[in-house]
Amino acid sequence: MAGKYVHQSILRLEDPELITGNVQFLDDIKLPGMLHAAFKRSDYAHARIKSIDVSEARKLPGVIGVYTAEDFGDYIKPGPLQVPPPTAIKGATYAARTTMPIAKDKVRYAGEPVAIVIAESRYIAEDACDLIYVDYEPLEAVVDLEKALQPGSPLVHEDLPSNEAGHVRQERGSWEQAVKEADLIIKRKFFINRNAGAAMENRGIVVQWDKHAKQMTIWCGTQSVIALRNQTAARLGLFESQVRVITPNTGGGFGPKINTSLPDDVLITYLAMKLDRPIKWFEDRRENFLATTSERDQVHYCEIAVKRDGTIVGLKDFFYHNTGAYNPYMMTVPLNTQTHTVTNYRVPNFLTEFYVVFTNQMIVTPVRGAGRQYGVFVMERMLDAAAKELGMSPVEIRRKNLLPANAYPYYTSIIGQDFVEGVLDSGDYPSAFEKTLELIEYDKFVKEVQPKLRAEGKKVGIGVACFSEGTGVGPYEGARVTVGGNGKVVVTTGYTSQGQAHYTTFAQIVADQLGVDVKDVKVITGDTGYFGWGAGTFASRGITVAGTATHLAAQKVRQKALKLASKILQAPEEELELADGVVRVADIPSKFIALGDLATLANPMRGTMEPGTEPGLEAVAYYGPPYGATGAGAVGLIVEVDPETMQVSLEKMAFVHDCGTPVNPMVVDGQIHGGIQMGIGDAFYEELIYDENGQLVTASFMDYLFPQATDMPKKLVLGHMETPSPLNPLGIKGVGEAGAIPIPSVFTQAVENALWDTGVEFDRDTLSPSRIFTYVQQAKGA
Amino acid sequence: MKLEGEHVFKGPREAVWEMFYDPEVLASALPGTQKLEMIAENEYEGAMNVRIGPVSGSFTGKLVISDVVEPETCTLTVDGRGTPGFAKGVGKVQFIDQGDGTTLMKYEGDLNIGGALASVGQRMIDSVAKTMIRQAFEVLDKALEARLAAKASGSEVVDFKPPSETEFAAAVAKDMAGGLTKIPEVRLLMYIIPLVAVLVLLAVLFRGCSG
Amino acid sequence: MAQTVKINVTVNGKQYEREVEPRLLLSDFIRHDLGLTGTHVGCEHGLCGACTILLDGEAVRSCTIFAVQADGHEIQTVESLGTPDNLHPIQQAFIEKHALQCGFCTPGFLMTLVDYLGDNPNPTEEEIREAIDGNFCRCTGYFNIVEAVKLAAQKMASH
Repeated sequence: MAGKYVHQSILRLEDPELITGNVQFLDDIKLPGMLHAAFKRSDYAHARIKSIDVSEARKLPGVIGVYTAEDFGDYIKPGPLQVPPPTAIKGATYAARTTMPIAKDKVRYAGEPVAIVIAESRYIAEDACDLIYVDYEPLEAVVDLEKALQPGSPLVHEDLPSNEAGHVRQERGSWEQAVKEADLIIKRKFFINRNAGAAMENRGIVVQWDKHAKQMTIWCGTQSVIALRNQTAARLGLFESQVRVITPNTGGGFGPKINTSLPDDVLITYLAMKLDRPIKWFEDRRENFLATTSERDQVHYCEIAVKRDGTIVGLKDFFYHNTGAYNPYMMTVPLNTQTHTVTNYRVPNFLTEFYVVFTNQMIVTPVRGAGRQYGVFVMERMLDAAAKELGMSPVEIRRKNLLPANAYPYYTSIIGQDFVEGVLDSGDYPSAFEKTLELIEYDKFVKEVQPKLRAEGKKVGIGVACFSEGTGVGPYEGARVTVGGNGKVVVTTGYTSQGQAHYTTFAQIVADQLGVDVKDVKVITGDTGYFGWGAGTFASRGITVAGTATHLAAQKVRQKALKLASKILQAPEEELELADGVVRVADIPSKFIALGDLATLANPMRGTMEPGTEPGLEAVAYYGPPYGATGAGAVGLIVEVDPETMQVSLEKMAFVHDCGTPVNPMVVDGQIHGGIQMGIGDAFYEELIYDENGQLVTASFMDYLFPQATDMPKKLVLGHMETPSPLNPLGIKGVGEAGAIPIPSVFTQAVENALWDTGVEFDRDTLSPSRIFTYVQQAKGA
Repeated sequence: MKLEGEHVFKGPREAVWEMFYDPEVLASALPGTQKLEMIAENEYEGAMNVRIGPVSGSFTGKLVISDVVEPETCTLTVDGRGTPGFAKGVGKVQFIDQGDGTTLMKYEGDLNIGGALASVGQRMIDSVAKTMIRQAFEVLDKALEARLAAKASGSEVVDFKPPSETEFAAAVAKDMAGGLTKIPEVRLLMYIIPLVAVLVLLAVLFRGCSG
Repeated sequence: MAQTVKINVTVNGKQYEREVEPRLLLSDFIRHDLGLTGTHVGCEHGLCGACTILLDGEAVRSCTIFAVQADGHEIQTVESLGTPDNLHPIQQAFIEKHALQCGFCTPGFLMTLVDYLGDNPNPTEEEIREAIDGNFCRCTGYFNIVEAVKLAAQKMASH
């Protein structure tokens, strides 16, 4: 659905200010009398706190206060659940142990705060941290997922009978039946490890309490201003209206910034009130690695039941999911894994079961992809394994089993993160797959290019994988569209932005409805002072859910404008049009009224108002879909592996995706590009490595390898498909995570193909040159 | 982290064993050591301060010696803590008389580290440890030589001047970072290396220090 | 830490005299003492490149330099490049090629490129990738940044 602006690659409206340094990020905020916070963090992953000596730290000049759990009294308790438990799933069990804002008695991960220092400068605050002495009694750390559930394992939470944090089993059809029907059952075990969000801007918060107005202002790069406001108000006994949360410009979110009731927001809001001074805390990179949530490992035991001709009759996947020391985010990540395991293919019988496990590691919450790529990885790997066993090509087995284009809406019987049955609303997976094969020139590569290069001794390989991305889930988002007396339009929403171009794309949607120049639409996101309802930025739902709410609000304003203009211009509404900033009679362009004038008239200062009308050219709308819109696509990759160093060069990537109507195709491409970077990190570079004592040993960019420009594919070809979603009027599906999802799947397949003569098979999603080398040595030895 | 290695001392086993029993000699191989004192039979406490340019860190460590078979072998358990983290290790030291007037010292141990040492310093520890150990052995070689010379001349005074803290730190930093020190990007590296190095050395040497 | 040192630094053509602690990082000095917050800090250990500035015309990381080391030197930050109404050709190219999303890393890229394109006005794609390899970006996958650099080189050549 194209309009004057929607479906156009217009340049971003936010860029000129952003690119000149003319904007405010969190750490740019400076308030009179502002104090600075630093955390003393645990060196141990698991230890009892015997005593904490803060006396020397308190004496340091410039230190205002040093606080441990004891100093906060009853205020310190486990935070609220950020996501409800999956009670909609029959038989699901869970144990909720939510985040402790500051360690009391025991530390459960290395990096957990044990004290907070407030000082006149950040330098002094950090000096004081070095003067805090904590006497610990070290305990054995729970690190290994499977061992954690064995009897006799040390317990992360000693009030629980085991480290089990939850259990979910879902089945469609009957795995038992699949076993009966199958010619062959193939089993594999997979290890999955995932990365940190690693937004370039770390997390932080600035809090100011106005004791006269009894008003708190919080600046925070959060992905959910509403949750932060509501939880803060509840904790401090304030009305929601007494707390205003403002997101300044935010340097990327990628998932971890969705969390609230973390140590910083719990403690600093309290201390800003207590000390009656504004306080800033801005994380450093090591803290970000240690103590900002990330994703972590899963271990999968998978079986696929197939016929000789390659037809899938069933899949069984049993897995363990690491949730870290606490589980405030409940089961979003493993539920995404479940719902994304068999999405792209016809799998009549599917049994999926997982255990969530507490460990002495940082809390696990979604990072771009949010568990979807694990499901996709498992499925794609199983198809590769089956193809090998059956003597088929990876292409043939996929072609045979892809859901056909007429299968939608497709009811999956599997309940997802939004607690309703997953429904694939629309799509055309076979076309996406074929288009990918074309763009990567699969046949040509396999028949001509590869044999030639192999004859020259080059280790070149190709892979192709499919993916889906459940996006735009509920519950809802809202927006208010207001036409000002100046004829310009303001859009406000409780949604938050971290660089996704909402200031442009939401404006495009509104400009089309109201017939104004897109530059005359100002979008304000993430400020509860302007709009106080919404859920947050997650699950690629910005343009789908908040964008649709914006569209609906703009439509309401349009109706109001038409109705009022009809009276003023004395012409029927059907004969009017909104264009060029005016409402005019379509056939008599000279008969018009400027939108700004109409807005002024819509807010009469004297006289009477017609019953049933509301003032202003303003409207609020909310949108909540019954279930999410599912985007999908496929990716092809050609790699060359250096047989000496096992360094992998990404020669060419073809990425085809379908996100329904792209509101701004340029922005959609950008989202795919960024996702690919993260996917490449996932597949080849980035890894949060915890040693056997629960110490994170990759807590700087020296050890945590962040993909750089020279690591990207030498050539990238994007292919676009548009199957509009029937769920919303613009036909939009989300695209924020698509790029990140299928890369490990295609990477492992392509590298395996390059090293075909070694017989190597990868059973994990995070490879590195040294790991590939080890696999090859093992394959040779076998 | 596993640590193992060996070193040949040019002196008889008893003399080497004796040297390792002398906390002062050990402290000299470890500039910055403020104290290394016996608090009970086979139990020592050590404290050290490290100051290299803008970097400072203080550590305290406790050493327990067990399974002593004089002058052949002993097991050492070390527990060190400081602002940049902690280290805990168990090691076994062996002194083998080579029959030619020299002594082969073999050591192997397992060291666990935590805090900033682990999260930022882990990957450098292996190589840092090796350098630190090599340099410490150089100091100990000289100390042994001086002790043997004093013994030969019947002198009470051992003519041995340990390297200063600064000299020692500079040698290690130079050895580790090579030409890198000129580049601002390695500032953090420069910050952490000496701290890591000293703690590792502390742990290793504690293991080897006496019996 | 009462001890301070007097330094004289020229930033974006303006001279500043300030008393600073010897341990104050140049990035903190620029951002918090001078209020030039266009320079960003992403990792504080010299890896991500977000804090890149020009020191006597050369691109360096301000998070791994002390403010006292800049005494007597000349610094340029992103604020010296262009204004929203009068953009530098590299800034213009970044906008036209959608080479920024959250914009946090962008000032570092710009300063790296001002230095680089000054010395290498006509780089190949491979050279561009090498040139920006020390700057991290989480949003763009670098693809559009490379395109923007090509465009910027053209724009600067025709200027």
